Amino acid sequence: MEWLNAVRDWIVNFCNTFAHDVYRNFIAEGRYWMLIDGLKITIIISICAILMGIVFGSIVTLLRRSRFRIPRAIGYVYVDIIRGTPMVTQLLITYFVIFGSVHIDPVLVAIVAFGINSGAYVSEIIRAGILSIDKGQTEAGRSLGLSKSMTMTHIVLPQAVKNILPTLCNEFVVLIKETAVVGYLAIPDLTKAGDTIRSRTFDFDMPLVAVAIIYYIIIKFLTLAISALERRLRKSDLR
Amino acid sequence: MAAMIKVENLHKYFGKLEVLKGIDEEIDKGEKIVIIGPSGSGKSTFLRCLNLLEVPTKGDVFVEGQRITDPKININAVRQKMGMVFQQFNLFPHLSVMDNITLAPIKIKKIAKPEAQEKAMELLRKVGLTDKAKAYPAQLSGGQKQRIAIARALAMEPDIMLFDEPTSALDPEMVGEVLSVMKDLAQSGMTMIVVTHEMSFAREVGSRLLFMDEGVIAEQGDPKEIFSNPKNERTKTFLKRVLNN
Repeated sequence: MEWLNAVRDWIVNFCNTFAHDVYRNFIAEGRYWMLIDGLKITIIISICAILMGIVFGSIVTLLRRSRFRIPRAIGYVYVDIIRGTPMVTQLLITYFVIFGSVHIDPVLVAIVAFGINSGAYVSEIIRAGILSIDKGQTEAGRSLGLSKSMTMTHIVLPQAVKNILPTLCNEFVVLIKETAVVGYLAIPDLTKAGDTIRSRTFDFDMPLVAVAIIYYIIIKFLTLAISALERRLRKSDLR
Repeated sequence: MAAMIKVENLHKYFGKLEVLKGIDEEIDKGEKIVIIGPSGSGKSTFLRCLNLLEVPTKGDVFVEGQRITDPKININAVRQKMGMVFQQFNLFPHLSVMDNITLAPIKIKKIAKPEAQEKAMELLRKVGLTDKAKAYPAQLSGGQKQRIAIARALAMEPDIMLFDEPTSALDPEMVGEVLSVMKDLAQSGMTMIVVTHEMSFAREVGSRLLFMDEGVIAEQGDPKEIFSNPKNERTKTFLKRVLNN
């Protein structure tokens, strides 16, 4: 029964070390608070940015659908630049160049930068949603004498929402993960919190894996919600 | 009396392709115009130019004396007087049959909802679909969809009805129900312009037939006359081909 004892010892040893590590990384000096606060900041930035993104995205969609060339061009250039440059670069430019001369809370800067970034993607999502609706729908509305905007609000958009909503939620998921780069502005978000713990305890695996698990749980939860939403929207198609 | 619809020198290009090559036509109140011709001859484009779903490249369209090709005109007001029925029905899938019919009267004419619904029920009775008021388009057959589409157009109380191949997307057994609604409408005195491949309908209901080919009206006249004794060579070839089938 030698080996059984060896296994038992190993398990006990492992559990002890694990418990010790957990204590050292998360409990000692109240470090779990760093993760909770970091999570709060990540969520605040994500939610504010997506709301801003929806507002920006809607405005840009209107610009891009304008009858006039100049607003259309502005919308196009905005989306083109945002999509063609890395998020981190945009974040740094917003912080150091655009708000470089004024003293402003980096969290606010991050919200603005992510909001502007998300706006470009949201406008693409809305645009694709509108384009997915058959042209015959618009023609039917216009042939009844509805104006362009009435046709949009009563006929096209209510149908487009079904395509827009799930994709919009996906954009939100992407955004949450992307906010991990706000550490560049020394914002103590979730990722930065894990990194800070790592630098204090010199433990690599535990804090970083813990951060990954927290992100994963949030995203998993959202993804499940999106699937449920998609199922419900599809059901109303069949009636 | 001025013509209900007057078309002067109508040209339409799609890019470099000239689809309509100069059409002059007058349509009076109460006429049932049927337009036939080979595919690609410009029939649908001509019809769609009448309510500016296609904007003519050159030429003018007058509706009840108003030049609707004038860019300053309120085209929405003009379209309220011209109902249109499409080949693909184009019912609004997110709205019930009732809401499909009442949307425009409530939103544009600001008619009270109960009143609009009462009117809609009357129209549904006319097309024989009162039991479908609460249904959604996805639950209807093609023929039923098209009859609802006709009721929807009629809800705006138009003076003119445009039909763009209304039975071409239907299964054969459903063509009859739609044509019979259209016949009733014709008998009620509605001014109708119908692009169609239904030759027997054209012969029976049409008060005047336009044969279009390669962007012009190649021949026109009394449908019975044209069917029995076509003058234009192209009409002859076309009729021979479709009537032999």
